[in-house]
Amino acid sequence: MPGRSLWSGTISFGLVAIPIQLVSAVRRSAVSFTMLHDEDYAPLKRRMLCPLEDRIVPAEEIVRGYEIEPGQYIPMTDDELASVVPERSHAVEIMDFIDLADLPPVYYSQPYYLLPGKGGEKPYRLLVDILSRRERAGLAKFVMHDRQYLVAVQPIQDALGLIKLHYEEEVLGADELQPETAELDDSLKERIKQTMKQMTATFDPTRYTDERRQNIAALLEEKVRAGETVEAPGTAGDYEEAPDDLLAALEESLQNTKGA
Amino acid sequence: MAGRTIWKGAINFSNVNVPVKLHSAVRERRIAFNLLHAHDQARLRQQMICSHENVPVPREHQIKGYAVAPGQYVIVTDAEMAQVEPQGGRTIEVLEFVRREELDPRYYQRLYYLEPENSPRAFNTLSAALAETGLIGICRWHMRRRSYLGALRPGRIGLDLATLRFPDEVVARDDLALPQVAVSERELKIGTELIDNLSAPFKPEQFQNEYQARLQELIAQKAAGRKIKIVPFRPKQPTAEDALVRALTASLKQARAR
Repeated sequence: MPGRSLWSGTISFGLVAIPIQLVSAVRRSAVSFTMLHDEDYAPLKRRMLCPLEDRIVPAEEIVRGYEIEPGQYIPMTDDELASVVPERSHAVEIMDFIDLADLPPVYYSQPYYLLPGKGGEKPYRLLVDILSRRERAGLAKFVMHDRQYLVAVQPIQDALGLIKLHYEEEVLGADELQPETAELDDSLKERIKQTMKQMTATFDPTRYTDERRQNIAALLEEKVRAGETVEAPGTAGDYEEAPDDLLAALEESLQNTKGA
Repeated sequence: MAGRTIWKGAINFSNVNVPVKLHSAVRERRIAFNLLHAHDQARLRQQMICSHENVPVPREHQIKGYAVAPGQYVIVTDAEMAQVEPQGGRTIEVLEFVRREELDPRYYQRLYYLEPENSPRAFNTLSAALAETGLIGICRWHMRRRSYLGALRPGRIGLDLATLRFPDEVVARDDLALPQVAVSERELKIGTELIDNLSAPFKPEQFQNEYQARLQELIAQKAAGRKIKIVPFRPKQPTAEDALVRALTASLKQARAR
């Protein structure tokens, strides 16, 4: 299942504007933990403590501060922070289209899917079809959660993806890693190519496993079967929903992480 | 400049063995804020609180639980977690080779530059073989008590190694409910021409993090004691479906004049 919509707005190129919603293209793996108190097994809550007054501070008394020198802060209100967010904060405006082949993966950061909003179905399909056909991506600036990102809008299969990119200043140079010689070994190269040919396959991600996660899922499954559960105080309604069918969920995460 | 060496290992497949060093290729630059107490401007510290007793819980009394039902947990100790950690080893094992374009950006997680450890000729040769065939190596290794899936690629210089997300961390295209809509040949033709007209080479150095720069400016203004002007935003109107061809044609006219 895709997650909930993280953002909605329009994506535009030229004078065409498409209403869209943004959903994540990644998700948390099935195995995740809750931090508990070892004495009563109650879940822990994260709170902020003022070390001067030695008390927990409620949300309305918290401000963000920028440290100008050790221990010295400039406080910033949410309105002030919002004032530096560029004006078109509900639009993804494509500035240029580029060849996908020119975009190396070092720039890729978080991936999302775009889904067409009401009335946007046709221009959405048109954009995906053209980008797939031309093997291109649209470059745009995008503001979400008060931050500005450079993003690539490109097809993911027959859907539209939006990928946050690293800015150039974040991509480090590699010049000093240049090998001390440019020499090649031609006979080795032929042997490597031969081997590569024999080892070439279609990318099928379902064949790869996270061994660690697989081990954790197996450990949990064993403990659940042995009935090794503890109960937190309070009413059931206080807690987050667990998967409907726990063993099935663990089984599934085992399957998902199992090798070919 | 690339980051310092973070790990050493050896690329291995068939009887090829190329020792390498990993360097970070990306360093995120974000203006970071601290959370302060509004009254006294003290920097706040995170504190874990027991939701039942409402008391602070120190580190040594925090344990990991897996929720099996609301309020019911299976406890996993640190010792048990350590036991299931994959055993190290310094081999980056290439499992297979796939065409470069088969990997989409959902999988790419983080990129490392590789540097030859002691056999630059074999390193160069492997890089050249990958570049000439358009293939990338799908590999697996253990680093810092985690299992990694990765893609070995020819880099601008030498070789790159990207860590990949595992399939259960990626949302499948089939999980999306995308409506099926037909587009006409005419729309495709004008649209393609428009996008061709709006195409340019990728010049990443053109794009600065303007937000970051404005934020820096805001901080400077506040530090100087100036008052801040608050600017509202204006949303765009979506293009109506029956106006699509008109919008495409008008955009094309603009793009040609560019």
